[in-house]
Amino acid sequence: METSKKEALVAAGINCDAALERFMGSEAMLNRFLKKFLADENYGKLTEAAESGAAGDMLAASHTLKGICGNLAFETLFDLFTRQVQTLRDGDTQAAVDMMPEISEEYGKVTEAIRANCE
Amino acid sequence: MPFSMLNGKDDTSNEYILIVDDDEFNRAILDNLFSRFYQTEEAENGRIGLDKIKECPEKYSAILLDAMMPEMDGLEVLENLKKEGLNDKIPVFLITAEASDSVMREAYRLGVMDVISKPVVPYVVERRVNSVVELFRARKQLSTRVDVQASELLQKEHRISSLNRGLFEALAAAIEFRNGESGEHVRRIHDITRFLLTRTDLGEGMSEEEISNIALASVMHDVGKIAIPDEILNKPARLTPEEFEVIKTHTTQGALLLEKIPQLRENAVYNYAYDIALHHHERWDGRGYPDGLAGDEISIWAQIVSLADVYDALNCKRVYKDAFPQEKVLAMIKNGECGTFNPLLLDRFLAVEDELRGLYNGDFS
Repeated sequence: METSKKEALVAAGINCDAALERFMGSEAMLNRFLKKFLADENYGKLTEAAESGAAGDMLAASHTLKGICGNLAFETLFDLFTRQVQTLRDGDTQAAVDMMPEISEEYGKVTEAIRANCE
Repeated sequence: MPFSMLNGKDDTSNEYILIVDDDEFNRAILDNLFSRFYQTEEAENGRIGLDKIKECPEKYSAILLDAMMPEMDGLEVLENLKKEGLNDKIPVFLITAEASDSVMREAYRLGVMDVISKPVVPYVVERRVNSVVELFRARKQLSTRVDVQASELLQKEHRISSLNRGLFEALAAAIEFRNGESGEHVRRIHDITRFLLTRTDLGEGMSEEEISNIALASVMHDVGKIAIPDEILNKPARLTPEEFEVIKTHTTQGALLLEKIPQLRENAVYNYAYDIALHHHERWDGRGYPDGLAGDEISIWAQIVSLADVYDALNCKRVYKDAFPQEKVLAMIKNGECGTFNPLLLDRFLAVEDELRGLYNGDFS
């Protein structure tokens, strides 16, 4: 992987080495899945559910995003979704909704870095 | 590792691994990881996964199962596999982001092989899955080998026991040939003895093996005749009292002979054969020979062979007599002309005598 690309991704909170290892060292495959993340609908579902306060839908979307972020080694986002899933499991929907601005900011960073470097 | 190997399946591998996960990312990662070792198949939820497994359980070497899925979650799949008894046959790995104590406890209770946390670390999941698959493979090979050996042993046992039987029958037939008979007599004694033990309550409480051993022992009842001189054994006229005394020794001579075969002494047939050879001329009223035993002192198998021997002798032509008609045979047995028999034995014998007669018409089964 090019140094500049790697630096940009790492700066956005993506642990490139861990992600590459998970794809058995295949950068092509990692790229494919990074782009897939951009098209994934779960983030949209999560924002919608947060706006309407639908706790169940939030949990489903947040849980899926947690898994994807874990696989792609988006460390900051993974931690945020892990916390949000736990908060929702504990029944504190409001606190989970309150995390949305922070999540949104990190989501923006990651998607921007991918768009700028992987397409 | 060269890149070409990453996605290149080994065509010789016919081992399948099933990846059950609703998330495409997870399936792709696991598929990519395991397609180097196995043929991979994917299922998007627990229901589809379970259907695939049930359709062909022996196809899969391992199942990688996500915990949280729509339609049917991982624990539910496990529960169904346990119900079908399949969790003993296929190793299942639960792959979960929430490895909470309660989930793990439940998963292990339902027979999961291992719980692996997400996101997966490739070298860890690879090692854990492959080790278990290897273990199952070795176990299966070993159990196949044990099955093959067990069936070989069984075959050998059959061969040995049929050889045993052949030797016993050959010995018995040799004596009959000397007696000018064809070997049919001992075969009928065997069949009558077996018939009375299996088709009446005389054999009550005996196992199939005991009955077979008794029937086999019965063929050797006259083995002691080998020690009787030809001119007495085959004398076509009435025997003198001295000659009759010599004939009577075939009982004790038979027992002595059997005693001298060491391999026979270790055989389960021996005790019966010895007793039958020695006591098949004893009578219920104590007037038989050689020991003058009476009533229950004579074993039931020796009693049965005595009656079978008399019955067959009366039915057939011998050097000293012709065959008698049925009414005469039965009358002679009932009125004690050939010695007194146990009333219970006589009763059971007379109840099935019509069927026994089939032996002499060749339609005995």
